[in-house]
Amino acid sequence: MVAVTLSLQLIAWTVIVLVIMRGIPGHRRAVTIGAGIGFALGVAGVLVMYRLLPGRVPLGMIKTALGVSFFFLWTIAVAAIYRSNVRDFPLLRWGWFVDTPLSAWTGAIMAGIVAGSIIACRLPGFDIAAIQLLAFAALALAGALLASAARAVERLLPSLITVTPSALLAAVVALLLFCSSSLLRLDLFSPLSMKVMKGIHDFVHQFMESILIPDHIFIRPAIWGYIGILFGKEVGFWGGMVIWFTPAILVALAIYCEPLPSVAHIRQGAQRRRLLADAIRTQRYRLVIPAVAVVALAAAAYQSSFPSVEYWDPKPLAVTATPAGEILIPKKGEVDLEDGKLHKYLYKRGDKEVRFFVLMTPDGKLTVDLDACAICKPDGYGQAEGTIICYYCKTLIPLDTVGKPGGCNPVPVPFTERADGVHIDGMSLVNNWTRTVQATTRVKEGNK
Amino acid sequence: MHRRRWLLKLLFRALAHRTGRTALLLAVLAMASSLATALGIVSFSMGKRVAEEVRKYGANLVIIPESARLDVGSGGLNFGAISEPAYLQQRQVEDAMARSGLKAERSFHLRGALHWKNADIMVEGVDFADVRRLFPWWQLKGNWPAAGETVVGNDLATRLGLKLGDTMELAGKAQIVRLRISGIVSSGGEEDGLLFLALPELQQALGLDGQLTLVRLMVTAGGDSLKKSATALQLLLPSAKVNEVRQTARTSEGLLAKVKLLMIMVTAVVLISAGSSVAGTMSTTVLERSKEIGLMKAMGGTRWEVMLIFCGEAALLGILGGLAGYLFGSAIAQFITRTVFSASAEFVPWFAGISLGVSLFLALLGSVGPMISVFRLDPVRSLRGE
Amino acid sequence: MAETIIETSGLTRSYGDICALKPLDLVVSEGEWLSVMGHSGSGKSTLLNLVGGLDRPSNGSLRVGGEDLLALSEDGLARFRREFVGIIFQQHHLVPYLTAVENVMLAQYFHSVPDEAEARSALERVGLGHRLKNRPGELSGGEQQRVCIARAIINSPKLLLGDEPTGNLDHSSTVMVMELLKELRAEERFTVVMVTHNQEVAAWGDRTIYLDDGVLVREERMRS
Repeated sequence: MVAVTLSLQLIAWTVIVLVIMRGIPGHRRAVTIGAGIGFALGVAGVLVMYRLLPGRVPLGMIKTALGVSFFFLWTIAVAAIYRSNVRDFPLLRWGWFVDTPLSAWTGAIMAGIVAGSIIACRLPGFDIAAIQLLAFAALALAGALLASAARAVERLLPSLITVTPSALLAAVVALLLFCSSSLLRLDLFSPLSMKVMKGIHDFVHQFMESILIPDHIFIRPAIWGYIGILFGKEVGFWGGMVIWFTPAILVALAIYCEPLPSVAHIRQGAQRRRLLADAIRTQRYRLVIPAVAVVALAAAAYQSSFPSVEYWDPKPLAVTATPAGEILIPKKGEVDLEDGKLHKYLYKRGDKEVRFFVLMTPDGKLTVDLDACAICKPDGYGQAEGTIICYYCKTLIPLDTVGKPGGCNPVPVPFTERADGVHIDGMSLVNNWTRTVQATTRVKEGNK
Repeated sequence: MHRRRWLLKLLFRALAHRTGRTALLLAVLAMASSLATALGIVSFSMGKRVAEEVRKYGANLVIIPESARLDVGSGGLNFGAISEPAYLQQRQVEDAMARSGLKAERSFHLRGALHWKNADIMVEGVDFADVRRLFPWWQLKGNWPAAGETVVGNDLATRLGLKLGDTMELAGKAQIVRLRISGIVSSGGEEDGLLFLALPELQQALGLDGQLTLVRLMVTAGGDSLKKSATALQLLLPSAKVNEVRQTARTSEGLLAKVKLLMIMVTAVVLISAGSSVAGTMSTTVLERSKEIGLMKAMGGTRWEVMLIFCGEAALLGILGGLAGYLFGSAIAQFITRTVFSASAEFVPWFAGISLGVSLFLALLGSVGPMISVFRLDPVRSLRGE
Repeated sequence: MAETIIETSGLTRSYGDICALKPLDLVVSEGEWLSVMGHSGSGKSTLLNLVGGLDRPSNGSLRVGGEDLLALSEDGLARFRREFVGIIFQQHHLVPYLTAVENVMLAQYFHSVPDEAEARSALERVGLGHRLKNRPGELSGGEQQRVCIARAIINSPKLLLGDEPTGNLDHSSTVMVMELLKELRAEERFTVVMVTHNQEVAAWGDRTIYLDDGVLVREERMRS
């Protein structure tokens, strides 16, 4: 599995170098060397972080870099579409920068660092330092080799395919996002759609409150139904899709809308037509790279929506309560509660079923929580590297914060920890579950 | 841009020029794709209909007492071989069904014999409301019985010379019941030889309160889950036997499979003949237009560009034929299901894709040969008219 | 002396055992009007096809407009034809289902992009401004040939080839077509190579070569 995603990422890296090389055709050597160096730097950076801060790699930095580049792409895309119609855009006079050694070096090194660090994060953990070092060195070497291989491949590409600066940026950012999407912790698409969902949710709330519409009285259930739609997961997903794809599509549109060269001054008809036909053909081939970007973004969105990561998600074990209504889960025995893994249980009382789990957080405290949160449909949680994930909204919750209430965190349940195990009050468990699930389903159905 | 629009115009002009041939090709393509569509839609909606029919043919599970023997032989269920009377407890069965959470329609049956004029008659106690719902194929002369009334099987009525409105006095082990015949039933099955009365009345007459000999269940499920339901129910009813009744389903499924096979074969034959006729027509066209092809090449069209024009023509025909085929095929399917199966066919929009695909495939496949000759045609010779 | 546009040496074309063109050395300079005469089967059409890039020689070298036609691929030859050559045929070879304008636009389509206004003005130039929307079947022989001329010159070729362009025309139409060609040549300055068996038509050119059985037998220069 790791090998497959790793090779996919490395292919994406090769394509990144290819695109940069085509986009800055005058400085192939600079791009090759810069990309190789950047990649190695990125890999080395991750290694150093692994070493200095074991267990807590500041992935936020990479994520921020990705986010900033995506934002930058948005800016450039908007500017490009503006320029394609108005021709001159004072903020976007980058002629001094495009296709210079400076752009070649900075572009290649920056892309290399980000790509290198993303791909290095994909490497599995190693117990032995020497092997770890070796693996990282091999990865850095592979990246550099692929960069020079890209130079050879670039010569074979038909010369008709050209890359405009904005298309270059779109393709590189899209491919980087594709690389990162295979890592749950580096993925940007799911958080984006989550943010959209939350944003709309909050906006509607605020709006309703600010215009002081009292619940129930004026608004008919049907309208609440429509408002309920706004709170669904689909809104977040499609909103995320729009934000995700728009820049690449804008870049493509900008190329498509670019005015054809003025040929009116050419007297001879045949020559005029030939120029026009060539311009149209060039323009059409320029759309290849934005298309690559769109495909990469689609692949990223797909990978993020259907992650190939296997979650640790044990089948809930049925538990019963003592006549006094107390549930005892022994610490040792069939399952070891303190192994840091999620342990799910199922408690039935009458016709009510409660799913809950017991987990040892990294700081060594046991916590008991419902297998549901206060805002989502109770689809439950699965455990992945260092986090648990809400299956409904795909939010990642760091293990450290499990046991704290709020947001999409699992709803904590009061319990007492004794030497023999964990004691939970069955009654309060059922009440807790009923309250939570009722609240979330109400929101989902929009009846508020 | 402009170029593509012009190409399209060129294609339409070329097709319009040869009205007869275009119409012929369109007709062939539309016919083939409409047939494929129609057969597809018919078998699709028939599959659904058969599933419905299976449901309609009622019970797919029966529960019988453990010691009784169930013969699932030709002609349905035969209960002649009950060695010693064994009964199911009605409450137990109801309870088990509630606990299993099975979604099923059920009807309770109690078989027994009642004495009438020196002879024993096989009688069956049923709930007529259930019977009406679950056995829609019962044909009843007269009315469904009210309390104190009975329905007699067709054969039995003839044998005993019973008529509508007659009153019978039947003696059971515990009680005597007086029943007026309100209807005569014929189903073509074993029901024709039985006398039916309301379940509680028979239970009282026989002194078998709350006892049953047979429960028929109609589970709305197909395939595996039926077996699963049977096993689940069996676990809850250790003193009974839960059997699957699948003949009707099996025979109709088998028939459907055969019909489908036939349809596929017919479609294949039609497609092959349509494909060869497309190929023939296309190659005549190409032969006739060889001068035009030579001219295009002489004017500077590359082999690919010229081929594109002719492929485009084939594809255009394919698309038009496919659309026509879908509309026509849906109409045919509607007609077939109306007349043959007396049901309306479903409207299946995604069959448009299939129809289009079939037609395009035929058009392009049929023009592979002609396209090769377009590709290889020598402009000098063709312009000279060779 | 003007630049050379066609240069052949030892040009041969044989179909199986039959040799249609014996080794031929020919030089045509830019802007020249060359008439090729000879009776049927003398190899004059073969020469025209070779020069126009429609056919490949069996042997020898052939350079047209600085391009070595033997080195070009099949698609390269097609590109050469569309950029460099305009051809007028005896049988016109107009597409029957397209109007006059559209027939001209077909040549534009293969060259680059169709441009209706330009095609229309080209037809007006050959005096067919009133017959734009007519199909070939509705045009007389002379008119059809004028459509052919408009089609042949629409892409501004350097080389105009005529394969007995007046073979099917009566005398007055012939004169009209030849006058038109002469006029256009004066404006566009293309080179003409015209195959004919009509002495009178050949006389419109600057130079006439006579082919017999694939061999150049005689060459004649006209007084200008």
